[in-house]
Amino acid sequence: MIYVNAFIFAGLVCAIGQIILDNTKLTPGHVTSMFVVIGAALDVFALYDKFVIWAGGGALVPITSFGHLLMHGAMEKATEYSLLGLSMGMFDLTATGIISAIVISFFVALIFKPKS
Amino acid sequence: MTIKFNNVFVNGASTVTGPYESNGPLSKFFDKSYEDLYMDTNTWEQAEIKILGDSVEILLNKTKMIKEDIDLFISGDLLNQIVASNYTASYLKLPYIGIYGACSTSVEGIILGSSMLSNNQIKNCICSVSSHNTGAEKQFRNPTEYGAPKPKYSTFTCTGAGSLYLSNVKSDIKVESGTIGTTIDSGIKDVFNTGAVMAPSAADTIYRHLTDLKREPMYYDLIVTGDLGVYGKKILINYMQTEYGYDLSHNYDDCGVMLYDLEKQPVFAGASGPAASALVTYSYIINKMKKGELSRVLMVATGALMSQTTVNQKMAIPAVSHAVSLEVVE
Repeated sequence: MIYVNAFIFAGLVCAIGQIILDNTKLTPGHVTSMFVVIGAALDVFALYDKFVIWAGGGALVPITSFGHLLMHGAMEKATEYSLLGLSMGMFDLTATGIISAIVISFFVALIFKPKS
Repeated sequence: MTIKFNNVFVNGASTVTGPYESNGPLSKFFDKSYEDLYMDTNTWEQAEIKILGDSVEILLNKTKMIKEDIDLFISGDLLNQIVASNYTASYLKLPYIGIYGACSTSVEGIILGSSMLSNNQIKNCICSVSSHNTGAEKQFRNPTEYGAPKPKYSTFTCTGAGSLYLSNVKSDIKVESGTIGTTIDSGIKDVFNTGAVMAPSAADTIYRHLTDLKREPMYYDLIVTGDLGVYGKKILINYMQTEYGYDLSHNYDDCGVMLYDLEKQPVFAGASGPAASALVTYSYIINKMKKGELSRVLMVATGALMSQTTVNQKMAIPAVSHAVSLEVVE
C-alpha cells in the first residue's frame, strides 16, 4: 500500500510543479525554492512527518523533503544549544544531499557538454 | 527618415546555418550548413565567430574577390559587445564598423553601407550579421542547462550568418531606398514575447516608408519583416489595418515564419535573431528576385533592444525597425 501512497504523493508534488511552470512565468529555480519553503512550513505540527510515515520514499524524494530536513536539523540543535543551534544544525541532515549534488555535478560537468 | 540611394547594387550574398535551419524548408538555398551547434569548436561563442567568418569567406569566393579589394566591413550580432563580429573583423583585418541593433542589425548595416556607397565614399562593402541559438538564449533568456520550459509565443533564436556584398558595379538587384526607424517602447517586459514587442515598431517603420515615398503596400511584391514570428505577424497585419488603414494581408510575410517548418520543428513561434532576416533574404528572396519572380521587396528588420540587466530590473523592452527596398534593375 505504501508504494501506492508514495506514487500518489510524489506524483502530486510533480503535478503541482508542472502546473506552475506551464501557467506562470516562474522558472524551475523559483519552483524548487518554493517547494523547499512549503516543505519547511509543513513541518509545523510535524505535518510533514505524517506524510513521510504515510508515503515513505514518496515524501522523502521530492524537494519538499529538503525543507523538512532543514527544519529538523535546525530544531534538533536548537533544543541542545538554544537559539544559536538553529544555524548550527540547519545543514546537518541535508549535508549528504548537498555534498553529493556538488560532487556528482562536478563529475558530470567533466564528462558532458550542454547541447541545444 | 527615408533615404534614396543611387548606384548601390547587390553583387553577392552568402549564408551559413546551423542544424535547425538546414532541416527547414529553405535548406537548399543555403551555402553551407553545420550539423552540430558547436561547429567543431569548443564553445558557442567560438562557433558563432566561425560561421560569421565562413560566410565572409564564401562571399569572397562567390564574388571572386580577395579581401584586400573590400573597402569596408560592417557587421553585428547578438553576443555581448558584439564579439562575434569583432573577432571576425580582427581575422579579416579590414576597415570595420561594428553595429548593434539586435535583430534589426542586418538592415541597419545595409543602410549604412548603401549611404556611403551612394555618396561615393567607398567603392564596395560587406554587410554581415550572425546569431547563435544557444549563445543568445544563454545571454538573453535562460541557459540550456537550466531546463526551463518556454511559452508557445516565444521565438527561437536562429543559428546562422549572412553576408551581403554591396558595390557600385551594376547588377540585377539594386538597393533603392532605406528608412531608418524610430525606437518604440510599447511597455512589454516579457523577453519571450519579442514578436509583440517589435510589431508596433515594424508597423511604424513600414508606415513611414510608404508615406515618405508616397507608395501603397501593393507597390511591393513582397513586404517581409525580420523575426516577428507567427503571433507577431498576426499582430502586425491587424495593427497596420486598424492604426494606419493599410492592408498587408496579400503581400506580407515574416522571415521568422519562413525559415522553419513550424509544424514539425521545435521552434515555438518561429525564428528570431539578426541572422533570421539575413538567412531568408540573402538566400531565398534574392534567388527569387534573380529568377524574376519578385521584382520589388521591402525588407524590414525588427529588433528588440533589451539587455539581461535591464530585463532583471523589470524595465520594458524598446524596439526599433529599419526598412530597405530592394528592386530588380529593369
